[in-house]
Amino acid sequence: MTQSSNDAQPVIDRREALRRVTLLLGGALSASTVAGVLAGCEARRTPDGAWTPRALTSEQVELVAAVAEHILPETDTPGARAALVHRFIDAMLAESYPAEERQRFLTGLGDMDARAQRSCGRAFLRCATQEQRAVLDQLDHEAFAAAGDHAATPPFFRTMKELTLVGYYTSEIGATRELRHAPVPGRFEGCVPLDRIGRAWAV
Amino acid sequence: MGGVIESYDAIVVGSGITGGWAAKELCENGLRTLVLERGRHVEHGKDYVTEWWQPWQFAHRGRGDQQLYERDYPIQSKNYAFGEATRHFFVNDREHPYVTPEGKPFRWIRGYQLGGRSLIWGRLCWRWSDLDFGANLRDGHGVDWPIRYKDLAPWYAYVERFVGVSGERLGLAHLPDGEFLPPWELNCAEQVVKQGIEHAFRGRHMTITRVANLTQAHNGRGACQARNQCARGCSFGGYFSSLSATLPAARKTGRLTVVTDAIVHSVMYDERTDRATGVRVIDANTKATREYFGRLIFLCASTLGTAQILLNSTSPRFPTGLANSSGQLGHNLMDHISKAGARGTVPGLEDKYVYGRRPTGTYIPRFRNLGMPGEAKVAFLRGYGIQAGAGRQAWSRGADAPGLGVELKQRLREPGPWGISLQGYGECLPRHENYVDLDPERTDQWGIPLPRVHCSWSENERAIREDVKTQAAEMLEAAGCTNVETYDEDGPPGFSVHEMGTARMGRDPKTAVLNAHNQAHDVPNLFVTDGACMTSSSCVNPSLTYMALTARAVDYAVSELKRHNL
Repeated sequence: MTQSSNDAQPVIDRREALRRVTLLLGGALSASTVAGVLAGCEARRTPDGAWTPRALTSEQVELVAAVAEHILPETDTPGARAALVHRFIDAMLAESYPAEERQRFLTGLGDMDARAQRSCGRAFLRCATQEQRAVLDQLDHEAFAAAGDHAATPPFFRTMKELTLVGYYTSEIGATRELRHAPVPGRFEGCVPLDRIGRAWAV
Repeated sequence: MGGVIESYDAIVVGSGITGGWAAKELCENGLRTLVLERGRHVEHGKDYVTEWWQPWQFAHRGRGDQQLYERDYPIQSKNYAFGEATRHFFVNDREHPYVTPEGKPFRWIRGYQLGGRSLIWGRLCWRWSDLDFGANLRDGHGVDWPIRYKDLAPWYAYVERFVGVSGERLGLAHLPDGEFLPPWELNCAEQVVKQGIEHAFRGRHMTITRVANLTQAHNGRGACQARNQCARGCSFGGYFSSLSATLPAARKTGRLTVVTDAIVHSVMYDERTDRATGVRVIDANTKATREYFGRLIFLCASTLGTAQILLNSTSPRFPTGLANSSGQLGHNLMDHISKAGARGTVPGLEDKYVYGRRPTGTYIPRFRNLGMPGEAKVAFLRGYGIQAGAGRQAWSRGADAPGLGVELKQRLREPGPWGISLQGYGECLPRHENYVDLDPERTDQWGIPLPRVHCSWSENERAIREDVKTQAAEMLEAAGCTNVETYDEDGPPGFSVHEMGTARMGRDPKTAVLNAHNQAHDVPNLFVTDGACMTSSSCVNPSLTYMALTARAVDYAVSELKRHNL
């Protein structure tokens, strides 16, 4: 006989969380990301508004912010950097990701920098914008060409992209300026013209 | 013991969906009633601490949560309603252990607070029919229900009028109509799929879920605001709970006393009078014990909680647990199967969308083994219903495919294709070998023996799963859906949070714990009206039936009390 906690693998827990978010949002996010969303991870501030990263070095923060901005750039609405997605990612890595996954992310970040060295001869942040983009396009292509959905360990860029999307679209900027958000809809209408809403709902 | 003697007309153990109803009915019938809740006090509105938080406002709540979930919430975190916004309405598994045998998991989802799981329930409200009440008699599993639909029909109506159930009338004999508020709307994709299924399969229907979310203000409670975040609590009272509805009604009589942090250890029994005399309680915080006395005892502590209390209430007359001369106490534990079905894409409708977040889905009522002429023969007993829901994919789909930059951002600004999911909820047979008993050695921190849950699915439930998947996929295909695929995430028993059956009703005191009025065969002033009382499980969500049985049992108990029969 065992205590009830000996029930199932934690992965089931995450799969269930994933299923819920998938049902709600219709997409597919990795288990760790979903757990963080459910946990409500976001940037941490000290009372005077200063912020210091806890999982990333300041150079890594800049790297993450730059990549996030490439993924969701400023257009007629602010991009990932303005939405402080890099702070969200740091908080996720520090608070929510198990050590192993955190390390995998940091290794992936390093690999990306090394790849930039090979392709443009400089660290990623010192490459020209188009060169940076070329590196990311290649990573993106590879991340979705390979084993894909069922890989035991998702490619770094998948994780990076997911975290960026979550951090952005659950931010106030992403939810209310880029998308539509109705905290208290007040009623439900099941079939309305998309034009009337204009954009996708954030939640 | 502080030497305190407190006496009431009635004691209700538990403040969840049935405890709230028992309290309301007892108080309104003039009885001074004590409600004992093992968890903390929760005040309607004020204690719904995350109700108004927006996604970006969960800033300081995330530290180490994954580790926290794995350490303290390994069971609860698997429930669909669990999350950082609702964690405080679920128990800490580490602090509230129970036991399962190796390889036989059971997921016991619990909310120890005033209002219990009525704060976090799924809110679906279906009447049972004689297809359900006659099922055991028909196929020989379990014992016959001592009641039929006509006995409960007026009580269904009574509770529906108070609860506020929105829904569509279908005129189906096996899913009787109730007294409904206006239904929620189907969305565009669901309308298409409904037409497709009903056209292709004679006798099958898709309807909006009958649900305890108010489509209009009702009995002093505000209309549901279509936020779809019920489990955080709703200060509008937009969904039914003990805190929004029954306990306030009970309080209004001036006869209600509520004591929280009061864990009932056992029911006291007096052999000379052959009556329950009260309950022995342990203070959750101080661990001090005290006793409360009452002329009537209503156990509404949940299927496993009530069984645990009765099993722990031993005496020379009842050495294996109070009111257990039948030996059935703790046995015949059931849940519903779920987590199997099919999903697909609903093509087209790109120019259509929804406004608001409907707090429920749609439903395909049972269509198997209805006893209709010409219906298909299937290799299992009983049946299942299907919960369904459609919606347009959101921004998260962007994480699933290549693309980045301006193109990605522009693409995710639009909603994605319509998807639909069908999930079966299947009936579970009552089987003696599925049971809860008490661990002979281990106790919780209050010295109460831990419940041991022994429960597994049988071949019949497995056969239902298979049919659910096949039929769900066929219906989606017939309705014109694309990318149709089945899924099967085998949740262990308990997962559907419809556990029931541990103190079943039945005509014969030799084979059942309770009679047709939820009264213990052995102890006339002892009533059990939570899920423990259930003789079979039907395939529909059980809460409405628990509520109707509770109101009916109180009516009977009060009349017996007045006749001095108790």
